[in-house]
Amino acid sequence: MADQVTDVLELYRREAGLSLSELWLRYFELGGMSTALELEAYLYSALIPTAHDHDLVAHALNERFVELGGNHPVPYQYGESDA
Amino acid sequence: MTTRGLSNLDFGVTAGFTGEQAVLAVRGEVDTLGAPVLGAFIDAAIASGYPSVVVDLADVAAMDGPAMAVVARAGSRLAASNGQLTIRVSSEMTGRLSAIAHPANGLRFEPVDGSQKRSGVEHTIAAPVAPATPVARPGASGAAVVEGLVRLHALQAATDVVDGALRLVVALARATVGGADGASVSLRRDGRLATVAASDQTVMDMDTDQYTVGEGPCVDASVEGRWFVTESLEEEVRWPAFVPKAKELGINAILSTPLLSADEPVGALNLYSRNVGAFTPRDQELASVLATEASTILTGAASGMSAETLAIRLGTALHTREAIAQAQGVIMEQERISPEAAYRRLRIFSRTSNRPLLERAQDVVASTRLFPMDMATTVVPSGMVDRRATGRSPLDDAMVGDFQAGDRRPEREPTTAEGPRAESGHRAAGWRRAWLTR
Repeated sequence: MADQVTDVLELYRREAGLSLSELWLRYFELGGMSTALELEAYLYSALIPTAHDHDLVAHALNERFVELGGNHPVPYQYGESDA
Repeated sequence: MTTRGLSNLDFGVTAGFTGEQAVLAVRGEVDTLGAPVLGAFIDAAIASGYPSVVVDLADVAAMDGPAMAVVARAGSRLAASNGQLTIRVSSEMTGRLSAIAHPANGLRFEPVDGSQKRSGVEHTIAAPVAPATPVARPGASGAAVVEGLVRLHALQAATDVVDGALRLVVALARATVGGADGASVSLRRDGRLATVAASDQTVMDMDTDQYTVGEGPCVDASVEGRWFVTESLEEEVRWPAFVPKAKELGINAILSTPLLSADEPVGALNLYSRNVGAFTPRDQELASVLATEASTILTGAASGMSAETLAIRLGTALHTREAIAQAQGVIMEQERISPEAAYRRLRIFSRTSNRPLLERAQDVVASTRLFPMDMATTVVPSGMVDRRATGRSPLDDAMVGDFQAGDRRPEREPTTAEGPRAESGHRAAGWRRAWLTR
């Protein structure tokens, strides 16, 4: 199947109903320094983000899920015990 | 448009433009932190060519020395160019402010009573306060970003939205890239490079010199589609015809980042500095990010977002980043931890309280406003509010017990591309208490 996506972050992005550029803006807003193209590469696992970058993307998605009434479904790489 | 407020106090500036007059309505307390924001607004109004600037202080509760100095200096600058600075002020403040009136600054006072209606305000931009925390990143002050937003206002009427968006990118690059003294965007149109946006005349001249001699970092970046940086023109050998002209204008470092449209190089975002080695790796990254966005605007493939919407969102996003970076700095300083660890703290706190990270960041920054470092050296005229006397703000008492782990805000306003998120409440002290007792 051509459209089958196995990459977790990309699945969450689709579920969150965010376009790539809207997600990039949110990620950038939270302090992310990667370009939109790099972000796309992270979503499709073509590039491996740093743990910090991964968590920025995760948090951008989670804030969107909170807006939609959800509660932080996207897992972080750094857990709360690491803080 | 309005921007999200960063302040827990009620300071704000609303800019209105009617004909040849810019009216800046100020509210709240103009303290050491608010003064630079007010200054940036007045500067932007003057830079936009308004000969008559009105600073409306009718709703201002108190002003300290630095704020009065900002107003006096602006008056002098306007007077020097045959302009006029008018101060609208309540009768009880007139006496205090008349102390700064001087023939050289030509300040005119216009008494108003508090209930007087103001008219003719067409658009408003609410100024966020950007507190100058001791650890804030240099060169990316909120005041400068505000200036960018004021410019955005000026170009809302521009017919060419793309050029307008690119001018905003230039203003934002100038405001946020620490090492940059000037910025511009070059674009190839009708087969020739031209500058569509420049922060000042020197930058415009720099670009033109490169087009004329047909060489330089801006030309190369626009043609080859990769970035060119020169850290010191003294040692630069690549552009023999252009470099002497740049040195004449006092430029010592240049960073040109290509703009692409449909993967083809079409121009460059150019940053100029008077200082050797001015551009840090972070500056280069930020330039690359801004250039990418400019490219997106040019490609017009921003998934349904118009160039104008994207530019406005980018402005808001930069503002939010700044607030978060400041909060990160505060936490690093207080807890002596790494930037990443500080960010995690912020994120976890956002999660446990179920409130957006931005609001939490604003709380952290606001908590430092109760004890700003530089307050110790400012003179507060008698009769004005002086928080140093007790070391406490009235907010302190209002905020006790505000935070409980896991509390939820009953009504959260949705975020949209058009509007600001709900402003944070006055939670700073409660936040800090909860933080310290975690």
